[in-house]
Amino acid sequence: MNSLIPLLIAAPLAGAALLLLGGRALDRFGHWIATALAALSCAFGLVLFFDMLGRDTEHRAVTTRLFSWIPVNGFQADVSFQLDQLSIVFVLLITGVGTLIHLYSVGYMAHDERRRRFFAYLNLFLAAMLILVLADNYLLLYVGWEGVGLASYLLIGFWQHKPSAATAAKKAFIVNRVGDLGLSIAIMLMFAEFGSFAFHPVFSAAGDATEGKLTAIGLMLLLAACGKSAQVPLQSWLGDAMEGPTPVSALIHAATMVTAGVYLITRSSAIFDLAPDAQTAVVVVGAVTLLFGAIVGCAKDDIKKALAGSTMSQIGYMIMAAGLGPVGYAFAIMHLVTHGFFKAGLFLGAGSVMHGMNDEVNMRHYGGLRKYMPWTFWTFMAGYAAIIGFPFLSGFFSKDKIIEAALAKGGTEGWILGGCALLGAAVTAFYMTRVVLLTFFGEKRWQPDAEGNEPHPHESPKTMVIPMVVLTFGSLFAGGLFSLGDSFLNFLEPVTGFEEGHSPLNALTVSAIATVCMAAGVGLAWLMYGRSPVPVKPPVGSLLTRAARRDLLQDDFNHAVLVRPGSALAATLVWFDSKGLDGFVNGLAAAIGGLSGRLRRIQTGYVRTYALSMFGGTLVLVASTLLMRSV
Amino acid sequence: MHLAYPAVLAVLLFSVGVYGVLARRNVILVLMSVELMLNAVNLNLVAFDVWLRDTLHAGQALTLFTITVAAAEIGLGLAIVLLVYRTRRTAAVDRVTALGDRHEADDPADAAEEKEQAAA
Amino acid sequence: MIATHALAAAGGNSPSIPAPHIEYGQLSPMLVVFGAALVGILAEAFLPRRLRAATQLGISLAGLVGGFVAVVVLAAQGHASTRAGLLAMGSVAIDGPALFLQGVILLTAVLAVLTYAEGRLEPRINGHRIDAFAAQAAAVPGGEQEREATREGLRTTEIYPLTLFAVGGMLLFPASNDLLTMFVALEVLSLPLYLMCAIARRRRLLSQEAAVKYFLLGAFASAFFLFGTALLYGYAGSLRLGEIADVVSGVAPVTPALAVTTQNDALLLIGLAMVSVGLLFKVGAVPFHSWTPDVYQGAPTPVTGFMAAATKTAAFGALLRLFYVAFPGIRWDWRPVMWGVAILTMVVGSILAVTQQDVKRLLAYSSIAHAGFILTGLIATDRRGVAAVLFYLLAYSFVTLGAFAVVTLVRDSKGEATHLSSWAGLGRRSPLLAAVFALFLLAFAGIPLTSGFTGKFAVFQAAAGGGAAPLVIVGVLSSAIAAFFYIRVIVLMFFSDPQPSGPAVAVPSALTATTIAFGVLVTLGLGLLPQYFLDLATKASIFIR
Repeated sequence: MNSLIPLLIAAPLAGAALLLLGGRALDRFGHWIATALAALSCAFGLVLFFDMLGRDTEHRAVTTRLFSWIPVNGFQADVSFQLDQLSIVFVLLITGVGTLIHLYSVGYMAHDERRRRFFAYLNLFLAAMLILVLADNYLLLYVGWEGVGLASYLLIGFWQHKPSAATAAKKAFIVNRVGDLGLSIAIMLMFAEFGSFAFHPVFSAAGDATEGKLTAIGLMLLLAACGKSAQVPLQSWLGDAMEGPTPVSALIHAATMVTAGVYLITRSSAIFDLAPDAQTAVVVVGAVTLLFGAIVGCAKDDIKKALAGSTMSQIGYMIMAAGLGPVGYAFAIMHLVTHGFFKAGLFLGAGSVMHGMNDEVNMRHYGGLRKYMPWTFWTFMAGYAAIIGFPFLSGFFSKDKIIEAALAKGGTEGWILGGCALLGAAVTAFYMTRVVLLTFFGEKRWQPDAEGNEPHPHESPKTMVIPMVVLTFGSLFAGGLFSLGDSFLNFLEPVTGFEEGHSPLNALTVSAIATVCMAAGVGLAWLMYGRSPVPVKPPVGSLLTRAARRDLLQDDFNHAVLVRPGSALAATLVWFDSKGLDGFVNGLAAAIGGLSGRLRRIQTGYVRTYALSMFGGTLVLVASTLLMRSV
Repeated sequence: MHLAYPAVLAVLLFSVGVYGVLARRNVILVLMSVELMLNAVNLNLVAFDVWLRDTLHAGQALTLFTITVAAAEIGLGLAIVLLVYRTRRTAAVDRVTALGDRHEADDPADAAEEKEQAAA
Repeated sequence: MIATHALAAAGGNSPSIPAPHIEYGQLSPMLVVFGAALVGILAEAFLPRRLRAATQLGISLAGLVGGFVAVVVLAAQGHASTRAGLLAMGSVAIDGPALFLQGVILLTAVLAVLTYAEGRLEPRINGHRIDAFAAQAAAVPGGEQEREATREGLRTTEIYPLTLFAVGGMLLFPASNDLLTMFVALEVLSLPLYLMCAIARRRRLLSQEAAVKYFLLGAFASAFFLFGTALLYGYAGSLRLGEIADVVSGVAPVTPALAVTTQNDALLLIGLAMVSVGLLFKVGAVPFHSWTPDVYQGAPTPVTGFMAAATKTAAFGALLRLFYVAFPGIRWDWRPVMWGVAILTMVVGSILAVTQQDVKRLLAYSSIAHAGFILTGLIATDRRGVAAVLFYLLAYSFVTLGAFAVVTLVRDSKGEATHLSSWAGLGRRSPLLAAVFALFLLAFAGIPLTSGFTGKFAVFQAAAGGGAAPLVIVGVLSSAIAAFFYIRVIVLMFFSDPQPSGPAVAVPSALTATTIAFGVLVTLGLGLLPQYFLDLATKASIFIR
């Protein structure tokens, strides 16, 4: 049965290779091959899942070694996979949502002439992401980590004819490099400290290392997670990444890849549990991002960017939960899975709206669309209800657990974190209601585009509707199912550990407060956008709104920090990487370049000079050989 | 006769050859200088062969090979030199310098091409 | 008839001439290739023009693949290990390193010949497909004769037999067990290469200049090699590598005449140094490297790829055999000198590459730096060092061949667009090709999961194990410098905006595509699953004496 694990990865990898190398012959049906292989991978995942359920708790984790890559004494790097409860959750999410989105893309990309390449990249992404979550050592994880980064880069910039897409891809690439630097440093530190990359030996030896070293490793892992999961301060790329085709935003920049940071921290729980300072940093990053993302989400008129802000915010919840330690790991993963369903659903809904609206993304040009696309409307509403935490839907269960866990931190910290989480819930309800009101309710506000074509909103084809409907079920029921008898928690516990948090408020009170917060957010949004017609031209807005429209000035911030290195704020990592390190590197490069420029004068082009240098070399060689003997 | 005489003569001959390669501008003369170097080797080989009374006469055998190979080499070299001469009307090695690292600004390939067109 | 009989009878009593014993079976890889070369010449002489190109390709592939099969069969019969031995009266050795390198050379030659035959890159002339080689090599560039030859769609099909002769020499080079054979092999591989450099279709002046330079400097280096050979002969009284080793270590019987010369260590040391010069020239080590960038740039690109991959392999094979078979006894004399050469080669190659603006020159300097890396493996002077060098050569050959094959595809109206500025934004225009080239560059840079990393890892580990830790540090530092300019090209391809009048990427036929695909395959294969080939190289790492 274990032999299925490599096949899980091989299926989409083969698809990517086939589609990339197959040439034009595959243009007509290549996308179906890719979809079939994704489904095959999903089927393997299900078989492995049920096989795992059939075993006792202790025997559920299995490892399979494919081969060993340069085994030299002291340096053991294996290509081997580990399938345990944590990885199977990811495998099912990745392949399940991945298959649905492949199916959706069949419709969405039907008229794109580079469709074959698009599906090849999607398959490549699936394979890399599976490597990431199935690796049993950090080196292989790093391979997957870079692989998903590559796929993400290729897909963001897929519509390369748009300069904005190319720039966005470049930005994502560069910001992610900073995070990857963190991961590579963490791996080197681990190897220096424990002499191994593999999870098991590292985690079992973690107890012997000093706290300082563990904190350093933990902070570097956090940096990596920030880059991949778009957390403050490396969040700036996610909004721009929406330049990619919508299925990509749904799969990579909502459901799976951006949650890799959560996976990394949860997987490294053994290190973080022993490094409280690193954990605190994780919690702070999570809390800050959850508010940051939510505020950005409130101000965006671009439907995808509003959803991107929301993604950032929801991942903030997960990161915060993961930073809380064993109290929160399982809930972080649970929220990750439910979020995977409803956010993918929301993005697919947004894609469907855009599909019907001539790729218009500005919500101020929508309005009243519920009449024109009922399927999209109802599935979107399900996702909406789930994300704002409407009672007894998926988001309700997973988010409440995180709020409880945050409060259970105890003391002032607990109240602050819990307060942030509740505030975040209210803001989430606000911006999501805004999105829904602007898009589906009110009067129609669309106008002819530059060429005078009036959009004719229409429902999307079946291949796009079916995935949205399937995801709706996840959005509605997954949370309840997972919470039923704490089944999800019990399933994950052997890997992540669990300890009961002691919240100052009981579960019912928390739920009640959260629901009230949500209702307040919804109500406020209705007051602002539901009662009166929405202006097509955005109002100037308050200072905060204007800042939030510009992503809370994150780019301006980065800019100021880069341009004025003297400022005190500039002593952040961003500064260090782009000014300090690069300055050194550039200086060195200039020195080498100068030396090179001088040395190349020897290469005159004159044969006789060459002969002379050879003759000189011969003399030196002869003389030094003789000299060696006489010394 | 002691081995030293032919050996020293060979070294001198070789040095003359090296000097010729380094100092001569005409490709033909450079080729002749290389021939001098090879003949110095031949002299050496034969001298050693005789001195060592080699029953297999490896030195003399190698001499024969050297002469043969040198003939082939010269034939080939003259062919290449002739090719260059017919294009450029010169056999000076110092005129064949389009390739090299000095030409920073202009692309040597383009420069050569212009010459090519001018020739045509 | 009667005369013959009489001769035979006369020979009956007196001692007969001992006929040399030649093991044709074990020499078959070389014999097959030389045989194919001769058939190629006959084809050139007797076949009508229109049939030549296809026939020559067929003959070459048959010869090269046949040779490779012969190598595999010999290795399977154990000639690489238990049955390794000296052939042809001791002048040729057939053992692990020889067979391994012969296999590498033959495979690279097969792929190189495929790129020769590529006819899709240039626009057709009067319906004739043309390739990268001059219509008529003897015609004056730009002259009437050339125009006519071009109009008629002539092709220099002589390139195929020339390549086969060069390959034959290359096969013999790492297998040669005496200095005479080594010299002959050196010349047999060099002479055709000189000519092959001169017959580019485009930029013929540069091509001819490359040939002149390569030829003059090559002849100069050969003269040094020969002079060194003469001195070593004088010192040891033999040209056999094994017998030289015996004399060096003092186990051979010394005749009175030999005693005079053997006393004189200067003969040995100067001879060794000068023979090394000849070989270091061929591998392109500093300070004997100056021909490399000029020749690599000027030669037709398919030839450059072949030269860069196969010549280096063959020359390192010969260098290894020379040092490991003939001079292990005085390693304390040559090791420090080779240290210096290796350091210089790595550093100068890497630094000079930084300011290059031409892709082919860049790859040339990169090949110089790589020669330095390979030399570090040679300096290890143990079995692991040999294995590491063998593996490195295998890895390097295919990356180089692939990289130069990619260079042939990026073209503008003047032929190949080799100036780096025209490669800007290639990733946007042709992502697959740019990604493939990026992979090759990453392999050159030694990034993990490519063959380059495994190779560097192996040579550095061997060098460190052999007590050359400082050398490894220099190696790693120059790798870092080298990585800088490889990455620079990648950044240029993917993060710069393409020039409006930039080059187009030609769509190759299956021939070049096969070469590139093979390069990619080997690069990834040796990066991901190096174990089998590392084992193979280790098994093949014992020299017979």
